[in-house]
Amino acid sequence: MTASFWRQSVAIASRDLMVEGRTREVMLIALPFGAVALFLAPFAFGLELALLATVGPPLYWVVGLLFGMQITYRSTATESGPWSDLLALLGVDPAARFTGRALASALLITGFLGVLAAVMVGLYSPGAMPPIPGMILTVVLFSAGLAMLGSIASDITIGLRTRTLLAPLLVAPLAAPLLIAANSLWRSLAQETGILTWALILFCIDLVLAVSGVLSARPLMEATR
Amino acid sequence: MNPLVLLEQVAVRSGPVSILTSVSIHLEPGTSLGIAGANGVGKTTALRVCATLQRISAGRGAVLGADLGTAASLAKRARIGLSGHEPAAIGELTLAENLELVAKLSDRPSAWVVEALAKVGLDRAADRRVDRCSHGMRRRLDLARLLLTEPDLLLLDEAQAGLDPPAVAVIGKLVADVKSRGGGAVLVSHDEAALRAVCDRVVTMRVGEIP
Amino acid sequence: MLAAATMAGGLWLALSSPPDAVQGDFVRILYIHVPSAWLAFLAFGITAAGSLAWRMTRRQRFDDLAAASAEVGVLFTVITLLTGSIWGRPVWGVWWSWGDARLSTTALMLFVYLGYLALRRAVEDPERRARLASVLGLVAVVQIPLVYFSVNLWRTLHQTQTIRPDGPQMDPEMVAALLVNVAAFTLLYVALVAARLRIGRAEAAASEVNAGPAGAAVGVPQLGGGPDVA
Repeated sequence: MTASFWRQSVAIASRDLMVEGRTREVMLIALPFGAVALFLAPFAFGLELALLATVGPPLYWVVGLLFGMQITYRSTATESGPWSDLLALLGVDPAARFTGRALASALLITGFLGVLAAVMVGLYSPGAMPPIPGMILTVVLFSAGLAMLGSIASDITIGLRTRTLLAPLLVAPLAAPLLIAANSLWRSLAQETGILTWALILFCIDLVLAVSGVLSARPLMEATR
Repeated sequence: MNPLVLLEQVAVRSGPVSILTSVSIHLEPGTSLGIAGANGVGKTTALRVCATLQRISAGRGAVLGADLGTAASLAKRARIGLSGHEPAAIGELTLAENLELVAKLSDRPSAWVVEALAKVGLDRAADRRVDRCSHGMRRRLDLARLLLTEPDLLLLDEAQAGLDPPAVAVIGKLVADVKSRGGGAVLVSHDEAALRAVCDRVVTMRVGEIP
Repeated sequence: MLAAATMAGGLWLALSSPPDAVQGDFVRILYIHVPSAWLAFLAFGITAAGSLAWRMTRRQRFDDLAAASAEVGVLFTVITLLTGSIWGRPVWGVWWSWGDARLSTTALMLFVYLGYLALRRAVEDPERRARLASVLGLVAVVQIPLVYFSVNLWRTLHQTQTIRPDGPQMDPEMVAALLVNVAAFTLLYVALVAARLRIGRAEAAASEVNAGPAGAAVGVPQLGGGPDVA
């Protein structure tokens, strides 16, 4: 017997969120580390307030990208050989596994970016800011895309010795459209111009990643056999 | 009736390295087979072929009536139960939470979790995190999982390793239960005596082959 | 031989074609830059096609083709970026134009395929390597249309596509030189990929030496003699 696709996805997502609830790695380690990164950058840029106000939001997205990648890899770190075999033998749909992991990672990255946004605003005092619903939309779409991309890269590199360096190398360039679109949407929302274009681009990137992830889930799982 | 496992001169290669050269296994329903052999002969790989988790490079094979390497064989996986060298569990979750996750994923009632833990003597440790359990406790958790999922084909790799005598008795019960349901079991170990105590038939594996 | 002859012809045309009215002789770098860019895209498209063909047929030759094409594609992308920088310095005044979306996304395409090659090097088993690389090759090919249409998505310093549907903007002699160089680079691509495939086959044959089953290396412990281990 096997559970339905969505029941499996929710079970996988719940697993990852429970693990985070126990370890609190995102809350206690990733978040402070991200805040430190935002705090240190002005020491390299110089403390010209107008410059900081300009670079604050783009730097926020770069930090979000780099740390968000690490958050997605965490969930696949729990999928060691025996656990991966178990999921296969329980008849878990690989696409459900991808969906569940991406869902959990997206929620964690959204929370991470939400708190980090407050840190960025406090440290950099950016000029015009998007309305809060727009900020939430941008963060959610960016987080979803990054979670899916990170999940695909994790599946590709699972079990490889060079995984910790190789996975970020695979994700970072492919995440560039996400970074460009998220920063552009943020700016568009603040300036109230070109919003629909960038929102659609970001949504389309997420859609392409969702389709890629679902279609590649089984081939990637079977690649380790 | 179709054999549960039928491997004919199966070979497994990884690039230029040959792991199995010629493995033939025949497991009829209602029977158990033990595969004994020294370290490194390929017992685990042979077991993983039976579990449809290892691709074959040559030969023919069918598990639960489905040819290896086909979509049909992937569909049979939910009827296979495997306990490998390392127990399959999420360290940060408790024993009970791990089994509840398995229950959700395999559509078994959550109520069976408590019963399964009790059968392996872990009911009082149900709320202990797996990464704070001993190796023997984790192996018992694997057995509890197999009791919960009731597979038709039971595959055990060095199952007795790390278990005390009462827990070893659970293995005997698992094998007896699966046979009574019309299923079968394959156990691999370097301990031939332990296999003979549980299995109907024991074969000895030489390097890369079971004739 | 054919590639060499066409390259020589392309070089002669590049040097003998008229200078550009605005860029002067700097335009001649484009006879290397533009064909390199087109071949970079073609190479990565072939990588994706090879990946798809492998997934459909499971024939090793298609995975070998995908890998060889990716290696050559990386080479052409590096040439594209280098020649673009050399051309950009006197024309735009900077070695690297951050405002040029096409240049930036071409660089990203390079990183994507460096990652692809790094993945291939990290996996020893040929079957597993082909499976993982084929998935990445197909996912990564999404980059190619993004690069090509980036000029339309972002208004930047870079000139619009040189050959447009409503007719080329360049002098006919320059167009002819450009097209001959495209043909020459295409033949060079074919020659390089063919050479890489030959090398790959030789490497595979060399590693096929059968050392016997892996388990044969495990023997009985020899405890007799030496320090007492009891």
